[in-house]
Amino acid sequence: MAKVLEPQIKDGQLLKIGQRVPKLDAWDKVQGRTQYIHDVKLPRMLYGKILWSKYAHAKIVSIDTTKAEKLPGVRAVITGYNTPEIRVGFIKDNPVLKKDKVRQYRDEVAAVAADTAEIAAEAVKLIDVVYEELPGVFDPEEAMQEGAPLIHEEKGSNVLKLPWKMLCGDVEEGRKKADFIVEENYTLPFVTHCCLGTSGCIAQFHANGNLTVYSPTQIRYLAQKDFQDAMKALGLKGKRVQVIQTAIGGGFGSKLDTYPFEFITILLAHYTGRPVKLVYTREEEFFASPGRQPVRAKISQGCTKEGKLTFRDVDMILDNGAYTSWGATTPSVMMMPISSLYQVENIRYVAKCVHTNNIYSTAMRGYGNPQATFAIESQIDTLAEKAGIDPWEFRMLNRNKPGEITPQRFEIGSCGMEECLVAVKEKLQWDEKRGKGNGRGVGISSLIHVGGGARIYKSDGTGTILKLDDYGKVTVLTSASDMGQGSDTVLAQIVAEELGVEIEDVEVIMKDTNLEIWDAGAHASRSTFVGGNSALYAARKAKEEILEFAAGMLKEPKESLYLRDRMVYSRNNAEVSMALDKLLRAIHFRTNGRQVVVSEFYDPPTVMLDREMKGNFSAAYTYGVHGVEVEVDQETGHIKILKYVIAMDVGRALNPMAVEGQLEGGCAQGLGYSLMEELQLDKGKVLNGNFLDYKILTFPDMPNIESVIVETIDEKGPFGAKGIGEPPLVGSAPAIANAVWDALGIRIRDLPITPERIVAALEAKKGS
Amino acid sequence: MRRLTYHEPESLKDAFALLEGHGETAKLLAGGTDLIIEIKQETKTPDHLISLRCIPELQDIDYSNGELCIGAMVTHRMIEQSKLIREKFSLLADAVDNLGSVQVRNVATIGGNICNGAPSADTAAPVVALGAKLVLDGPAGERQVNVEEFFQGPGKTALAAGEILRAIRIPTLPQGAGSCYIKHSRRKAMDLPLLGIAVIIVPDDNMVCQEARIALSLAGPIPFRAKKAEAFVTGKPLSREIWEQAAQVAVSESNPRTSFRTTADYRKKMICALIPRAAETALRRVNKAWMKG
Ligand SMILES: Cc1cc2nc3c(=O)[nH]c(=O)nc-3n(C[C@H](O)[C@H](O)[C@H](O)COP(=O)(O)OP(=O)(O)OC[C@H]3O[C@@H](n4cnc5c(N)ncnc54)[C@H](O)[C@@H]3O)c2cc1C
Repeated sequence: MAKVLEPQIKDGQLLKIGQRVPKLDAWDKVQGRTQYIHDVKLPRMLYGKILWSKYAHAKIVSIDTTKAEKLPGVRAVITGYNTPEIRVGFIKDNPVLKKDKVRQYRDEVAAVAADTAEIAAEAVKLIDVVYEELPGVFDPEEAMQEGAPLIHEEKGSNVLKLPWKMLCGDVEEGRKKADFIVEENYTLPFVTHCCLGTSGCIAQFHANGNLTVYSPTQIRYLAQKDFQDAMKALGLKGKRVQVIQTAIGGGFGSKLDTYPFEFITILLAHYTGRPVKLVYTREEEFFASPGRQPVRAKISQGCTKEGKLTFRDVDMILDNGAYTSWGATTPSVMMMPISSLYQVENIRYVAKCVHTNNIYSTAMRGYGNPQATFAIESQIDTLAEKAGIDPWEFRMLNRNKPGEITPQRFEIGSCGMEECLVAVKEKLQWDEKRGKGNGRGVGISSLIHVGGGARIYKSDGTGTILKLDDYGKVTVLTSASDMGQGSDTVLAQIVAEELGVEIEDVEVIMKDTNLEIWDAGAHASRSTFVGGNSALYAARKAKEEILEFAAGMLKEPKESLYLRDRMVYSRNNAEVSMALDKLLRAIHFRTNGRQVVVSEFYDPPTVMLDREMKGNFSAAYTYGVHGVEVEVDQETGHIKILKYVIAMDVGRALNPMAVEGQLEGGCAQGLGYSLMEELQLDKGKVLNGNFLDYKILTFPDMPNIESVIVETIDEKGPFGAKGIGEPPLVGSAPAIANAVWDALGIRIRDLPITPERIVAALEAKKGS
Repeated sequence: MRRLTYHEPESLKDAFALLEGHGETAKLLAGGTDLIIEIKQETKTPDHLISLRCIPELQDIDYSNGELCIGAMVTHRMIEQSKLIREKFSLLADAVDNLGSVQVRNVATIGGNICNGAPSADTAAPVVALGAKLVLDGPAGERQVNVEEFFQGPGKTALAAGEILRAIRIPTLPQGAGSCYIKHSRRKAMDLPLLGIAVIIVPDDNMVCQEARIALSLAGPIPFRAKKAEAFVTGKPLSREIWEQAAQVAVSESNPRTSFRTTADYRKKMICALIPRAAETALRRVNKAWMKG
């Protein structure tokens, strides 16, 4: 049974929680000491390279590897024809090496292991593949039509058999009640994570048949399971798989799945008997690890004369690409804003994921939420306009409130939406700035996201093993992952707070499936909440044990004792105190002595979504509001951000500096999504797979971000905290679109909001 | 596996000898910010790299006898920091201000920018507007080429086999001239222009245009002077309306292309929007009041 932890704020004051603690990994990173997968070398290691498809859709007639095999230094050349079949992906529709047919440019046709990366790269060029090109389909709506080329013949249709559907209340009734209704179409582009560390892994088999995979994965334990499944195909069922997580050079969701390249590396290691490393080039990173699903959304909402929302009706088509990853489940998260952003009773949502010959996409920060929120929040403005109500007032009127239960049966605990709305209104000077229509304008957007884990699997837990040594130092073995968001720092703060030690006394280790307990992965903004509670509870157990012993030794009632400043003190008696390390040695060095080691597995009090896609799947919900003031150059279409405010209800800011880092980073990614990012494909082929042409913001492009941290002290979170990993990027795009509307009266419904689109919209407006 | 031999001649003579010795298999290396990328992408596959870094006569900015002479190996950073260029040839300073990043500007050279022949080269439109002459040196001796004739197509230049660009010679602008280059790009740094606009204006005391030069890049396959637009403004009072009309004329002389980066249509609109702005800045730099009427 899940535990609900009371925040225990002892002796008045928190010493480590709430402090601006610089990220513990920062110095290593800036000094180049951090070991990324690119830096790891094993003895006898070989280098792998993949031969990618030359077509978006084609039959493989033959593969001739003879020339490649003869190249000196080549140790193995593998194809789908000389290896056992391994299928990966959410519905296992993706064979790691393609046979008979390729369905996208991202398809793996063959792979090589060689003594050096250069030889491997040379060798793949020597592989002769004869293809017979097939007609492709690159538009999801065309792919849905009768007679469209089938991407997977055996599936009988390009529409995935994952029918996403949610109904709440009665939408028809809601339409009747509405005095104003708006219906619109929105489109969202293909964008990608742009991790600075490219993807890669090392696979190493041991003499006993066990496998070690070094990988910057966000999901050590789910990856371990996927690799374990693949061991069967190699005749190694029952052998152990160990995943060692190397420093993650950016995750953003890209590493919360396993991909063919990892299994190819395992195969190469298996056949050569040597460790094999395979790391993507930047070009490969762009076309072989893309991100967020492109979405076409049709949305309508209605409201009464007074501005109360009466219904929300959303249809979506997602371009799934050629294969199915976890990304195909993003509609389950889109349901969250659709059902629970603002109070609206009557909801209908239907989404289809459709196969095309485009490269398949993955999970990405926000996990569907940015797409859905762009449509909802842009339309809140058009609806408010139609109803003649100030969009801020409209939002206030429909806002979520603490303690409510939403139509999807989310149990909203703490909720600072109102505080966020008020803060953004004030900082933006909303009343003064709005409604000028002179090229300058203001816009806002609210957001909701899970902030207390998300029960996607049967377990949403994280494990902690915590030990104290003879010197008062604490080691925390946690199954949580840090990918730059600062989990290690925050976990150290939590443990230091609870055990009354300094942050530098706490070493957080998060890296090895052989050492740590299970974890669901760094997704759903859950590491601080779930990993934090797990660490807090473990620390509390250790504290109990220490104080129990101290009580006997110091002859003081246990309840009067507390830990602080590396000491144990008594509240009753100022004379009584003892250094923590001394106490720990006393526990250890005696007959039947022991070192203090505890473990904890925390699984939040939540349920999985039921068949109707309802249920309280997160233990807490995070709210926020983006506010932006823009100036639009009416000739060039350039948008200048004059002011950017983000207010987030984070429960409690365990480390305000880290929170600001998340908010600013999220806004940078959100601004990119809003203004310039788009992976452009021409018949399935990436056109702009480099950092010149795939544009993310540079530092000079980044406006100053004013962060407002709203604290609602969530009763279930560690010291009251909620997750904020993903939400900061969710509301950027609608806030900007709404500001552009306020500035010029043009409504951009397609991302990114490029100068070309602004100029075209202005022209259309002039014409009409 | 590609093996490259790196040469570092200390005189032009040695560089010529190396070029002749290795022929087609050699490439000249300046800052390498274009070439190394092309080598990695295997669009260029030399076996020998001949660095020009240690040849003294290519490294200086010199201003004498009414002429600015920029050595081919002068980096964008040196141009950016040259007070003289900023004052007297402002459009050239504009061109390098937002080129790449400081790191790129520290190594990338003006010679490389020009010799690479990319339509997106930021210094191209300014040197065309400035009427620069390129000093090319080779086994057959030295020759000078007008920069407009140097650019022959995307990636194609008048540089003959075995030749080295030594310097860019730029005549001083007439008294009372003002100039400006606008790089129209999506980002503020690390971006190539979608359109480059260089304008030089010489007004008389009554704000009538005595001379105008308008050079555009990415408005066609190679940078060019919009001669009809220039003729249109010459002799006319320098008002915003005149420049808007001149911009329309410039559009009629242009032939921009549609690519995945942007559309021809958008580029044309930007020609209209930005020529008047470049002119406005150029005039402001002449330091006289403008557009009173
Ligand atoms: C990150 C990045 C950002 C960039 N941003 C911009 C930008 O904003 N604007 C822009 O215009 N460019 C940009 N570039 C392109 C590049 O930096 C410039 O074109 C630069 O000026 C090239 O100079 P270089 O010295 O590096 O040339 P190199 O790469 O060394 O040489 C380029 C070509 O010219 C030839 N060459 C060089 N010198 C001579 C000579 N003296 N005689 C004969 N041939 C010669 C070389 O053989 C080669 O073919 C960018 C490049 C990068 C990598």
